[in-house]
Amino acid sequence: MTTLAVSPITARKHRRLSDQGFITVMVAVVAVLLFLLASVLVPNFFQLQNMINLVTNNWAVISLGVGVTFLLVSGNFDLSVGGNVALAGVLSVWLAQSTGGANTLSTGLGFPLPLALAGAMAGALAIGALNAFFVVRLGVPSIIVTLGTMMVARGLAQVITHGSQRNTNLPDGFGTLGNLTLFGTVKLPVVLMGMLLLVAVFIERRMLIGRVTYWVGANPVAATLSGIDRGRHVTRLYLFSAAIAGMVGILLASEFKSGFSNRGMLMEFDALVIALLGGVAIAGGFGSVIGMFFGAIILAVVTSAATGLVLSPDWQFILKAVAVFLAITAQTWALARRNR
Amino acid sequence: MASSTQIPALEIDELTRDYPGVRAVDAVSFAIEPGTVHCLVGENGAGKSTLVKMITGALAPSAGSMRVNGKTHNPTNPQEARDNGIATLFQELHVVDELTVRENLTLGLEAKRFGFLIRSDLDDRVVKTLAAIEPSIDPAVRVSSLSVAQKQIVEIARAASSGASVIIMDEPTAALSEREVERLFEVIRRLKDNGVTVIYISHKLEEIFTLGDIVTVLRDGKHIATKPLVKVEGRPELIEMMIGRTVAHNYVPRPNPPGDVVLTARGLTNHLLKNVSFDIRKGEIVGFYGLVGAGKTEIARAIFAADSYDGEIIFKSQPVGHTPKDALAAGIALVPEERRTQGLFTAMSIRENIPVMNLPRMSKGGVFRADKEERAAHEFVSRLRIATDSIEKQTEKLSGGNQQKVVLAKCLFSQAELLLLDEPTRGVDVGAKTEIYDIIKSLADQDNTVAIFSSELEEVLGICDRIFLLYDGQLRAGIRNGDNVDTAQILDLVTGGSMQEDAA
Repeated sequence: MTTLAVSPITARKHRRLSDQGFITVMVAVVAVLLFLLASVLVPNFFQLQNMINLVTNNWAVISLGVGVTFLLVSGNFDLSVGGNVALAGVLSVWLAQSTGGANTLSTGLGFPLPLALAGAMAGALAIGALNAFFVVRLGVPSIIVTLGTMMVARGLAQVITHGSQRNTNLPDGFGTLGNLTLFGTVKLPVVLMGMLLLVAVFIERRMLIGRVTYWVGANPVAATLSGIDRGRHVTRLYLFSAAIAGMVGILLASEFKSGFSNRGMLMEFDALVIALLGGVAIAGGFGSVIGMFFGAIILAVVTSAATGLVLSPDWQFILKAVAVFLAITAQTWALARRNR
Repeated sequence: MASSTQIPALEIDELTRDYPGVRAVDAVSFAIEPGTVHCLVGENGAGKSTLVKMITGALAPSAGSMRVNGKTHNPTNPQEARDNGIATLFQELHVVDELTVRENLTLGLEAKRFGFLIRSDLDDRVVKTLAAIEPSIDPAVRVSSLSVAQKQIVEIARAASSGASVIIMDEPTAALSEREVERLFEVIRRLKDNGVTVIYISHKLEEIFTLGDIVTVLRDGKHIATKPLVKVEGRPELIEMMIGRTVAHNYVPRPNPPGDVVLTARGLTNHLLKNVSFDIRKGEIVGFYGLVGAGKTEIARAIFAADSYDGEIIFKSQPVGHTPKDALAAGIALVPEERRTQGLFTAMSIRENIPVMNLPRMSKGGVFRADKEERAAHEFVSRLRIATDSIEKQTEKLSGGNQQKVVLAKCLFSQAELLLLDEPTRGVDVGAKTEIYDIIKSLADQDNTVAIFSSELEEVLGICDRIFLLYDGQLRAGIRNGDNVDTAQILDLVTGGSMQEDAA
């Protein structure tokens, strides 16, 4: 028996890439290969500006994907983020619009801008709190809860905008945040997305709460019996995701100088799709923010290549569907083969 | 009674079943006379379930043969066993709540013409069968309006009307009240009068004596005896047959005397527990011994604040809080009953499993201490001798014994002063078992307190200083371990007998 014991040092050397690392590398390789394939097929695709655009055009979905990824890893869905983007955006506009406009849609509450933005964040966080309350306290499955709050949030946005949009009577500085450019050409929302990704990767890889997320998702029963306060942790994650959605909503409203009740439509599904493309397990306990990022690149390459190939935009959903099926089947197959 | 010329309802001949490394049933032979209630008894692990699974076609025998009413019975699946006239009453009921009693009785046997259901004489036959065994149940009512006991009777009627000559009942009274048990017994007697043979399995020995005609005792997979219950001289003889004269007994009293009372439980009561009170002293190894459903897991989970209860638990002169987190913070850790579903993160590595029960130690300003994690993993792999080539090995891929050591490592890393171990060696190979016992003993020697919740008598007699005996949610007695422990008396208490003489 004693001869079987391996000394710690040799064990360290033989450390293989974990399943997690393996999938992330695989997703990244697929993203690069797809990009090269598209470059061969589509004229003018292989350009630096195009590569940058793949990321910058998708800053909103990638940001939302961060919160959604953490929740998926913890074993929970968040389908409310798209509706929450609309709600926060509409709230920020409504609160900031000055009073006494020509009609209802141009009349707001006249809050000073910082207070209006704080109010919009509070609205977004309230949706997150509602998610947490139903999921944690009442034990309702998260897919049902967040499907409901998705409609609550968008419904409120529609009531506030009378199903249309508010874009008049706004204070001067309202459009600054969404249109500010840093370092020459990079827009502030893209910079914020980059910072969010760095923070998220640090939380996931280096912080205790990152590890707790994996424990909670990998085996909720064992996590509770190991003394983890699962409810508190999931509550935090829902608030985190709602805060990101609130930020995205405010930035989009600022960029377009309007609060539109249909903004962020289907973003919850895009955020879910890029997370799954990036190797996040729908059952929880497995996945990474970096994987989600490359999942977003895969989706962006597929959709923009389609446009470049002069496929009519009607084909976009079909192409997304094919990409999702292929990517997820390939991951399942690769993991099963590796662990055989 | 049964004459020797009768053809047995079920004849078992040299039946054997091997599992890797274990012979669960070892050349068992006996015959069951038709129209009798034949009881099957034995300790946990004696081979009863394996035997029943072979009779009902759920498991294939490694060797041996069976005959039903003289014809070869060699079922390869449960349906073939049913076709041969063997029905089983499972503990979880297989009735459809939304249908009426009559519809349930004919379920799957309906007569059809052109895809439409038609009435047939089958309906009348099943209703007559039901009326014969329990006239008080109206065939027209929905099953959802019936009690658990009545549902059970509907299932029995379905088995009987489908022409079963042998009905196997595995712990059928587990969920029934005392009155319902009497009703069930009447039904069983009526079945017997109609020529049906019942194989009755129960841990409750009174039931065996009240109901049974003949008893078969199994021990360690071997057939010990088959004899009419009238010839059994009371519980002591039956218990002696079940456990034998020699219970392996290698308890060595530990040198250091137990310290002050560290945990006090008063009047613990919940869905199963009935007013359970006890004390545990510092440095002790105490055992909670009882059969399945006696309340062991419930006590462990109550102490760990994983379930709610009435009554109070005081640990180190403080009430334990309301969540496992509170219990852990107070210095109590639990190794749960089901290690794969409750203890381990099976998709994660050994390294990633170990630190989970001591988060304060793993965090420095919120940053996870990966260096400590790795050190702890190496330390526990060598200290508990977890057989693996790397701390990165996924715990899913470890053997049962090594998985249990990882769960144990989790708890030890929490530096708890009181360890609760629920079935610590279930499904663990002999070598790892001994190692786990050594770990437990060395923990107690270092002044930690250990409580073991086990349904293996050998286990508690092997290492516990004191043993609490449980039956049906009650704490029946607490005894000090030692040479004068009367194993027959222990078995008597945990099967529902009353103390016949004073405990030592």
